[in-house]
Amino acid sequence: MAAPRPAERPRPTLLLLAAAALTLLTLHIRGAAPLDAFQQGVRDILEPLRTVTDTATDPIQTAWNGIFGYEELLAQNERLAEELARLRGRSVTDDADRELLERLLDEVGLDYSQLDTVVVRILGTPPGNFGTHRIEVDAGSDDGLTEGLAVVSGAGLVGRLEQVDRARSTVILATHPEFLVGVRLVESQDEGLARGTGRGTLRIEAGIRPGADIAWNEAVVTSGGRSILPADIPVGRVIDPDENAEYERNVVIDLAADLESLSFLNVVLAPSEADPLDVDTGLSWSRRR
Amino acid sequence: MTPRLRVLLVLVTAVALEGTLLDELRIGGVSVELLLLVSVLTGYHGGPERGAITAFFAGLLHDSIVGAPLGLHALVYPPMAVAVSSLELRMLRSTPVTDGLAVLAAVAAGQGLASAVGMLFGVLGSSTDEFVRQAILAGILTAVVSAPVNRVVRWAATGGLPDTIELRRGGS
Repeated sequence: MAAPRPAERPRPTLLLLAAAALTLLTLHIRGAAPLDAFQQGVRDILEPLRTVTDTATDPIQTAWNGIFGYEELLAQNERLAEELARLRGRSVTDDADRELLERLLDEVGLDYSQLDTVVVRILGTPPGNFGTHRIEVDAGSDDGLTEGLAVVSGAGLVGRLEQVDRARSTVILATHPEFLVGVRLVESQDEGLARGTGRGTLRIEAGIRPGADIAWNEAVVTSGGRSILPADIPVGRVIDPDENAEYERNVVIDLAADLESLSFLNVVLAPSEADPLDVDTGLSWSRRR
Repeated sequence: MTPRLRVLLVLVTAVALEGTLLDELRIGGVSVELLLLVSVLTGYHGGPERGAITAFFAGLLHDSIVGAPLGLHALVYPPMAVAVSSLELRMLRSTPVTDGLAVLAAVAAGQGLASAVGMLFGVLGSSTDEFVRQAILAGILTAVVSAPVNRVVRWAATGGLPDTIELRRGGS
């Protein structure tokens, strides 16, 4: 047991530290760049150590996951088997689907497949237990990435880059309750602001006209405009048009991208950054790494 | 080595371990809260003032590696260190079991409080159930690894001196 220290004055010290922490917190939330640089510096110092540990602990991690993640693995296996069966069943209609998609893209003028992207590998969740709906990827500012860029999979929008270090970045997933994106309904052409719900879906919270004619299963894409995310990236499909809303419509969107079984993702480069990096344009998913 | 250097060494080691090895070993997606553990143990062994100052810097380092706004964990950790120090003075008897439970409670409370502050400042969503699960699991995991960390932090915070000095009257 530690000896009491009568000379110590924890209350003034605690108040002083709380004031310092609150000041830092306020400055950081208001966007003080040196604080970001400090945090990035700490992470960059740790980065080589993390890479070595990642490699060295791979066998341990495999054994660890085998012990503690066995049930999850079984569930995932079952889910994948179901998915495979479903895909086999759907293979007959693939040609018809492709034709339908091409026609839809043609009608609305989407050029989703012609975006310049950087391929990134998912490393896992960021260190610590702070927050959910975030993943870490293996590319950073050295690869030409910057904060705010859209992250997509073959199926559509996955999230956006939230923090970019030299060799790693953190992606905030589209399902995160703090994720906001401007969206457009392809058929009704209504635009709104969608927010993640934390449960695999997004909800359009503002912008949709109360009388808008929105169909179930209607495709939803990013609206672009003043948003940092490019326009016309597929987001998902409407699963609840909220037809009975009296004042404001809260349309629910099922995300097109499956966030459960991802390994590689594409970061969509902003148009202004595409040229200096000498990325071929006009090609489908130009893979640079 | 001076006490400050020892504490600094412990903090740097804890950051490196939390950001690397412990991050790889997760149960239910939750990892050990080593820097929070170091904070509360420094409060326990080193007293409230030393505990609070160490916890502040531990919080800043934690903010940096997890990508939280700088100051968020630095706001939460010092009160936890002072609370543990204060409780330690009031405990009549301590056994390994009560100490383990105290670590579990302190870490779970610290983790839960950090999530609450994150929600308050709008940097986290409002998935309360998930945060409660994370806090309890982090408390359990951290309590499991607390014994060896306790020895290291005691060395750093007290300089290897005995924690208590019993004074007795001389003579018969």
